[in-house]
Amino acid sequence: MLKKWLFGLASLVTLFSFNLTIQADKPHYTITTDATYAPFTFQDKNNKYVGIEQETMKAVADREGFTYTMKPMSFNSAAQLVSNGQADGIIAGMGVTEERKEVYDFSTPYYKTGVAWIVKKDSNIKSLKDLKGQTVALKTGTSASEYGKSLQTKYGFKIKYFNDTDTMYNDVVNGNSAATFEDMPVIQYSIKNGIQLKIMNPKSLGNAGVYAFAVEKGKNKALLASFNKGFAGIKKDGTYDKIVKKYLGATQSTFSGSKKDNSSIFGILNSNKSAFLKGLWQTIELTVIAILLASIFGILLGIMGVSEFKLIRGISTTIIYIFRGLPLMVLAFFIYIGLPGVIGIKIPAFTAGIITLILNEGAYTGAFVRGGFEAVEHGQMEAARSLGLTYGKAMRRVIMPQGIRIMVPSFINQFIITLKDTSILSAIGLLELTQTGTLIVARNSQGFRVWAIIAMMYLILITLLTWLSNWVERRLK
Amino acid sequence: MSDAQAKVKVHVEKVNKSYGDNHVLRDISLDIAENEVVVMIGPSGSGKSTFLRMLNQLEMPDDGTIVVDGFNISDKSTDINKVRENIGMVFQSFNLFNNYSVLENIMLAPIETGKMDKAAAETKARQLLDTVGLSEKADVSVNSLSGGQKQRIAIARALAMEPDIMLFDEPTSALDPEMVGDVLEVMKNLAESGMTMIIVTHEMGFAKQVADRVVFFESGKIQESGAPKQVFDAPKNERLQEFLSKVMHA
Ligand SMILES: Nc1ncnc2c1ncn2[C@@H]1O[C@H](COP(=O)(O)OP(=O)(O)OP(=O)(O)O)[C@@H](O)[C@H]1O
Ligand SMILES: [Mg+2]
Repeated sequence: MLKKWLFGLASLVTLFSFNLTIQADKPHYTITTDATYAPFTFQDKNNKYVGIEQETMKAVADREGFTYTMKPMSFNSAAQLVSNGQADGIIAGMGVTEERKEVYDFSTPYYKTGVAWIVKKDSNIKSLKDLKGQTVALKTGTSASEYGKSLQTKYGFKIKYFNDTDTMYNDVVNGNSAATFEDMPVIQYSIKNGIQLKIMNPKSLGNAGVYAFAVEKGKNKALLASFNKGFAGIKKDGTYDKIVKKYLGATQSTFSGSKKDNSSIFGILNSNKSAFLKGLWQTIELTVIAILLASIFGILLGIMGVSEFKLIRGISTTIIYIFRGLPLMVLAFFIYIGLPGVIGIKIPAFTAGIITLILNEGAYTGAFVRGGFEAVEHGQMEAARSLGLTYGKAMRRVIMPQGIRIMVPSFINQFIITLKDTSILSAIGLLELTQTGTLIVARNSQGFRVWAIIAMMYLILITLLTWLSNWVERRLK
Repeated sequence: MSDAQAKVKVHVEKVNKSYGDNHVLRDISLDIAENEVVVMIGPSGSGKSTFLRMLNQLEMPDDGTIVVDGFNISDKSTDINKVRENIGMVFQSFNLFNNYSVLENIMLAPIETGKMDKAAAETKARQLLDTVGLSEKADVSVNSLSGGQKQRIAIARALAMEPDIMLFDEPTSALDPEMVGDVLEVMKNLAESGMTMIIVTHEMGFAKQVADRVVFFESGKIQESGAPKQVFDAPKNERLQEFLSKVMHA
């Protein structure tokens, strides 16, 4: 035993010093992953991302001498970011399919898997035939969901889509959906962790397949080669088997915290303090920056909206029409996932989130700013003009100061909406308060307590924001 | 024409104006001389306001010519802001700037148009406040004033630009009866000082007393015009007779 340790230490030291010598030209990659896919990737009680994939990636990188930034997000975003070149590789329980081979180049598979179909523990559903007319919960974009969907016509069930595993499971546990399809190791891990579900086909998994690491087709050949070489290495020396054993043999408290930590709101708050604080801070940052910039953009749109020139008014109306009309999430996806493919520039999630908020909240702001200016009594403008003031001067000196006063309540309202809208940005993987909640629930399955904490935090933020706004409003008067 | 007394300040020729199918002004022609006080009367909707508002281009005529102070303002290329500096206007609903104090209301235009610096504008404003008898109100908010006070401030505001023509659109119609006198008093003094004034009003007594000429509008036309004595005491136009019998016995 001691010998083994010493040997390990020695090899670590060699590896380390070797690494040092080549550090200068160590390649660096951006790898995406599915943030809520235990046991492959998930956050442990210290809010660190762990799991079979995380440890495998680390072991491979150490061995092959490259570094990487891991970006956990939803599976869909993770996959799209690689396919449009914004990230270099994805390790996210991605099953190898013919269809995906058109878009990605896959590594040697690191896990054999198959799709299980799953029902509530005390459910009386016996076979797939019993699902007729019932709802089946699926997770968007996964191969398990494709398998589930392929059975839809045959067995006549309805499909409901989810973005993360945990919400999907809970939908079945709560009885909203009758069944779900999920990759075998994933559901095994969750059942081991006490989720009240049972596997219906342990012996005859559907669509048996493999998980592999992937890069955009034809790109990042060096990364793919490194992964293959490194993975062969850790497979051979037993590292990989150890990793798998560690996770599939793990008990719940090892990763998700002790029972005591999870049995009260205070315990959860305490054991996830840093995650909550980080999420809270990210939400505050997004809100403050978005409020400032969206207000500037909105006031500009509003001023353009009352310009004496028809063309400028038209531009303002069009911008407001477009960005007020688009759902925030569509806009976020468009900017974060759609746009980079066309303009060829990577847009970090935070920037994409801020741009989304500026455009959307700014359009709303523009509409009420214009409305506020228009609400100023017409006679004020006529009086100013009759005295020889230009349109611009009359606007600036007479109309706008009065209009702004009318708008103050709308501004406060818009600030609160902006704060709430930041939660939608969890969809592009921003680790704000809502996404933080999703991640913690994915680990400890304490939906009620965690969401109660998150809700309280939003209410406190909104209260503070309202106080601040009212204070500013009083000072303006 | 060389006679200074007969110098034409406002020349209106064959002006027409329609709002959709509503032909509001029909072939109106009218000349107004310097120092003249013209009072316009007529039933509601006859086009008096529309006519008045054309004289400083708050409305644009469909056709015809309007020359004010030598500027052709029916021509879109004329710099209207410069012309407006010389035409004061007083509205029925006062339209004082709600976001400024009384003094600031009066000082705003001279400063913003670059006509005066701040100090000069303030001196001028205080002097005008004195003229309209409201010196003690300099620093109050305009919303704390009574209607009569508001209208006198509005007149002071217009005068601050030192205009040579003043337009009044029913300046006393929104006032309580006991306030009317103060405002008319200010206007009377102004007329006596030689200001060229065009006034739309229903105050027939005031018209008789102050007007050099009374113009009767009806259905978008000038039906009759002349000295007040003639218009009020010996109206020739049938509609004018009808109108006068209504307002005099009201
Ligand atoms: N901006 C406008 N758009 C459409 N119609 C208008 C507009 N302004 C005035 N009118 C119409 O033009 C006609 C003349 O209006 P105007 O205000 O000049 O009458 P007036 O003689 O001043 O009446 P009053 O004594 O009631 O003030 C009316 O029929 C009125 O409805
Ligand atoms: Mg009128």
